[in-house]
Amino acid sequence: MVNDLGRKLAKLAFEERGADMLLVMREEHGNVVPAMVPKGEDLGDVRLDIPYQLITILENIYPWVSKGRIAIITRRCDEKALAELVKRKYVDDKRIVRIGLACSEDQIRRCRCEDPVPSKVDLGEPHAAAKGDELISRLEKMSQQERLEFWAGQFKKCNKCFGCTLNCPVCFCDDDCVLEDRTFVAEPSVPPGLSFHMIRSYHMIDKCIECGECERSCPAEIPLLTMRKLLAKDMKELFKFRPGDEKTVSPLNTTLEGEQLEDGCDEC
Amino acid sequence: MSVEHVLTTCPYCGTGCNFFLQVVDGRLTSVVPCKTDEISLGRLCIKGYNAHAFVQHPDRLKNPMVREKGQLVKASWDQALDRIVKALKEIRDKHGPDSIVLLASAKCTNEENYVFQKLARAVLGTNNVDHCARLCHASTVTGLLYSFGSGAMTNTIPEFDGADCILVTGSNTLEAHPIIGSRMLRAKEKGAKIIVVDPRDTPLSRISHIHLSQRSGTDVAWINGMLKVIIDEGLADEEFVKARTTAFEDLKKVVESYTPEKVESITGIPKEKLVEAARLYARSKKAMIAYAMGITQHSNGTDLVKSIANLAMATGHIGKESTGVNPLRGQCNVQGACDSGGLPNLYPGYQRVDDEAVRAKFEKAWGVRLSPTPGLTLTRAMNDAMAGKVKAMVVFGENVMVSDPDLNHVEEALKKLEFLAVTDIFLTETAKMADVVLPAACYAEKDGTFTNTDRALRMLRKAVEPPGEARADWIIACDLGRRLGSKGFEFSSPADIMAEMATVTPIFAGITHERVDGKVLRWPVPDKDHSGTRILHVQKFTRGQGQFAPIEHTPPAEVVSEEYPFILTTGRNLFQYHTGTMTRRSPKLEREAPEPYVEIRGEDAKKLGIADGDRVSVSSRRGSITLKARVTDKIIEGTIFIPFHYAEAAANRLTNAALDPASDIPEFKVCAARIERA
Amino acid sequence: MAEFSPTILAFCCNWCSYAGADLAGVSRLQMPPNIHIIRVMCSASVKPEYVLKAISGGVDGVLVLGCHIGDCHYMTGNHRTAKRMPLVQKVLKEVGIDEKRLRLDWVSASEGEKFQKVVTDFVDEVKQLGPNPMRGVKW
Repeated sequence: MVNDLGRKLAKLAFEERGADMLLVMREEHGNVVPAMVPKGEDLGDVRLDIPYQLITILENIYPWVSKGRIAIITRRCDEKALAELVKRKYVDDKRIVRIGLACSEDQIRRCRCEDPVPSKVDLGEPHAAAKGDELISRLEKMSQQERLEFWAGQFKKCNKCFGCTLNCPVCFCDDDCVLEDRTFVAEPSVPPGLSFHMIRSYHMIDKCIECGECERSCPAEIPLLTMRKLLAKDMKELFKFRPGDEKTVSPLNTTLEGEQLEDGCDEC
Repeated sequence: MSVEHVLTTCPYCGTGCNFFLQVVDGRLTSVVPCKTDEISLGRLCIKGYNAHAFVQHPDRLKNPMVREKGQLVKASWDQALDRIVKALKEIRDKHGPDSIVLLASAKCTNEENYVFQKLARAVLGTNNVDHCARLCHASTVTGLLYSFGSGAMTNTIPEFDGADCILVTGSNTLEAHPIIGSRMLRAKEKGAKIIVVDPRDTPLSRISHIHLSQRSGTDVAWINGMLKVIIDEGLADEEFVKARTTAFEDLKKVVESYTPEKVESITGIPKEKLVEAARLYARSKKAMIAYAMGITQHSNGTDLVKSIANLAMATGHIGKESTGVNPLRGQCNVQGACDSGGLPNLYPGYQRVDDEAVRAKFEKAWGVRLSPTPGLTLTRAMNDAMAGKVKAMVVFGENVMVSDPDLNHVEEALKKLEFLAVTDIFLTETAKMADVVLPAACYAEKDGTFTNTDRALRMLRKAVEPPGEARADWIIACDLGRRLGSKGFEFSSPADIMAEMATVTPIFAGITHERVDGKVLRWPVPDKDHSGTRILHVQKFTRGQGQFAPIEHTPPAEVVSEEYPFILTTGRNLFQYHTGTMTRRSPKLEREAPEPYVEIRGEDAKKLGIADGDRVSVSSRRGSITLKARVTDKIIEGTIFIPFHYAEAAANRLTNAALDPASDIPEFKVCAARIERA
Repeated sequence: MAEFSPTILAFCCNWCSYAGADLAGVSRLQMPPNIHIIRVMCSASVKPEYVLKAISGGVDGVLVLGCHIGDCHYMTGNHRTAKRMPLVQKVLKEVGIDEKRLRLDWVSASEGEKFQKVVTDFVDEVKQLGPNPMRGVKW
């Protein structure tokens, strides 16, 4: 049985925007389950209140789905993640149909989100941005030593599940992740040490779109989103760059004069 | 093109996290956490995230095999099953039913274990059915049955969040049960105090408030020491003790002599720290105890479990929210394999085989005469095989050639068998020795239920087809039952099996697949309207009054000597799992911890001229292995640690098969060993 | 108490800075003995991971030296370095490690004296900062 939300979505995605399938969440077995529903099939009990990272799921399955237009629920952060994917040609923009979802006030508060409204709102009511991250103001008041103690205390809880990278929509180096490289993250490695987290922080600095999935996935509840936000601020100050726009190029891929560097590799 | 996210249960530890297997056109592509799961809260550990990796591995067994002229060769299902049936019939007729042993599996579902034990009891006519719980929490079952009347976690995983104090002993929770460990971290963040009692420095002990490092094998002493402090300082919950328990006076007498000074001399725990920990645990409003193999795997394991129960009862930390005694079960369905009767002395639901009324009930339900004698335990069965009394073994999904103590002995025992049949998903070290090998479906290829460590029924849902001709274990066991001439194996599905199990198992009476599908149900579930039991022993203990057990400290079965001057203790690491059958075929897990190692403290290593990374040989009275040394400050002097996952340097070649008399659990955690440069 | 003697890594590019270091040596310029030179083909081959790993492992300071902008043997290698190192400094700052423990500078093959000055200055600065606090963090 399809609910009202499902009917509305089916109309939007399949009839109005010509999608062939829709990536969405619905209730099954008493849980909320991500589902790829082909056109014509019952959407079921659609649920949009649980923040699954659909862009990561899209990225995982995209290489296997060779044909058709895929509709996907996009929050503002998802739009930005898609931009990063399209920019790197991981997905073909022409095959993606965006259905904009404005996040709830509650979700915005949990994400300390400063940019919550998608460019086109199809579902949900737009709400104002959050007032900032309380932990950032606490960290700003700390001395250098206190800050190190804080983060070392947090990172000591890390159990190396790789949830922060696996669930991240903009973590791209699948099979040669430096975090899996012994050169950088030595054995015996639980907790994996500060280098693990600093290296990951550096790697996300020109990609992170602040969706907060790393923090939500973290079994140790390390405030990873706060770290991302701090570095996003630094990036903006230094290079006036924010990830999530298809048209801009990461400063790490340009010369000091701003010309794009030829080499396509981000990391070397 | 089809993309599916199949909600199922993790095949590794007993936490029972649910997650989605992502399936694209029949191919497993990844694991996606389930955010609405009450147990995992959408978080997984590295093993969970890699739980898809071994499923479609090329090494999977795809065909039955039989031994011809010493070689295992491909065979049809009919050939293989007929061979088993013929061998079992012959051996049963010649040597009697008790010459056959069936090993059930903590990796199989409740339904499958129910069928396994029914096969042994109703068809083969023996109670010789056991599984690897013998090696992990057998002493919990006996110990807690004695103290409380129920051998399972008294409280639930989500309750760790709300505790004020968590005492963890003999459990490397963050590595062995990472998602339960994450609950402990949450509790700590909210202000709970964490006490860890462990001879090793574990990721959890490093962030604990109090870490007591005892010498291996001295646990009764520190527990009695804490009890003495609690009693002397008036911190015992007199009201609770009086109303709910018996034999407190006997306990008092025994612990009287365990002064902090005496405890320090036995355990090495500084007396101030012991007193501090005792006060903290006793004074906390909601205090939970979590323990695992460090308590159970001793030759006095049952006594240790009873001691833990003493501690909880004396302080009244039981039968309430966020308290209790919480054994953390190590296998995805080790709780369920026990619940479903995979034990030689107990029918499903912990009903005794030597209880006439119970036996009559099962005889009526199954329509056969049943043996009144409790069967052989796994560890005794090996001894009896050695002595030539056990002639055949039928093994479902266990790898005793890596998991059991004193492997040289196990190897000899298995060689002496007239017949060995093994059903597994890979050609394990045990399967290599078999006369018939059957290919099984793994967790991702079948339906059924697991019972996790907090007694919750967790659904397993089929995501992909089994490889080649592999079949689900329940189908194989039912086929064997029918071929052996029984009519009681006409099940059409696991749900069907559960329906029969519910009728004979009071704690499962209200459980059906339909009910478990949308909701977390924890046994006991006495009827179809009952919504499950979160906390045990609330009004009264399952056995009535809680039973204190006065216990004296005794040294372990094997103590250090001049020749073997180190205490060897064994355990898991985060990345590998048990005998490595699955994790060592998961590239990302194998990459993290690819080779066996022995941990030794810097001071000890220096004296022996051993440097980090050196090849060393470690020997005990039973055998010797060669592996890499890992010099560390995470272990106390005089103790060495080897993870038991690695067949190429199997720690269990060294371990002592000394058994706890009450539960037959072997002493994996202590034996005397020597270490030298190889 | 003995004066703190820091351990410092200096990554020098093959074409300019290493030659500069060589010149400083041949010219017998006096320099503090705290630096360990690692010769790399280009300052752009100094992966940020190396720097972060070194500092989280307890090295007191890291010096990255390359050709002057415009002189890179690989044309734009040092442009990359010029973008990366400030960001690495920010990562250090945010976790509570003084960003001054990482310094980027340009030294050409003919700048033996500049090499001496950069090294001496950096060693002095790291001495003032004191030991890397990561040494004291029990992990």
